[in-house]
Amino acid sequence: MATLTPTLTLTSTDATTDQLSFSVTDTLSVTAPHIGLAKIAATTTGANNIIQPATDGQTYYVYVHHTGVDASGSAVTTTLNIELTGDVIIGKLAAGEFMFMPVGGHSLGVQLQASSGTIVAEYAYFTKA
Amino acid sequence: MATTTATVSITSADLVPGMPVSINASSTLYQTGTTTGLELVEMGRGTLTEASGADALADALGTADTTNWVYICNKSTNVEQYMIIGIHETVLGYLGSEEWMWIPWNMGDSDAEINIEAEASGDIDYEYAIYRSTNTLPAKT
Repeated sequence: MATLTPTLTLTSTDATTDQLSFSVTDTLSVTAPHIGLAKIAATTTGANNIIQPATDGQTYYVYVHHTGVDASGSAVTTTLNIELTGDVIIGKLAAGEFMFMPVGGHSLGVQLQASSGTIVAEYAYFTKA
Repeated sequence: MATTTATVSITSADLVPGMPVSINASSTLYQTGTTTGLELVEMGRGTLTEASGADALADALGTADTTNWVYICNKSTNVEQYMIIGIHETVLGYLGSEEWMWIPWNMGDSDAEINIEAEASGDIDYEYAIYRSTNTLPAKT
């Protein structure tokens, strides 16, 4: 068992009259299996880009980051679908955006699907201990 | 237009011996497209009661298929308590005590509300923030 510390910070000096400076952190106990950080050139077929195996009663903490480039290294502005396996869309990331969430409560994995061409994504998942 | 920046850091010193995990990313919150300024912000805290079943934290009131972001944190310190997070009929995952999540919410259609539910017993305090590109106000009754 290991310790994982995720921290989210939201800041803005001009979104509202009061400056936004918000941070939340947590200490998570995680275990195998895990993928520390990996890359995938996601294609337009989500089933070919499964990044997290189907859950089997456990919870996975999943991180995905749209790097803003395609498989050849060229900049892209296309969006990346974050989906549960079976093509159930959770949401879409634009270039540079990221997400972090717990996945579980079902028997599905997580897959990525580019809206067109390819999109290189960084991802990681960790199993809740 | 206002600029809001989201930053994430994920670290572990002991997940893999001799190879610490250090993941970092930062992004500006854009409206759909590349316009900065997700200025429609709703933030707050609430309490969920286990017996109440699932509640809609936010309805998909706005233009479909747009850029929106959701932050939810389970403030309970009781490790037996967790929140079930879903979008309409789809369960995304279980948010354990003191855990948080940050996800895009694209409101693919009007049946794309964010659902939250308390388990296993008692009350769960939570906090949340929702950044929207658009928001359609409910009709006057």
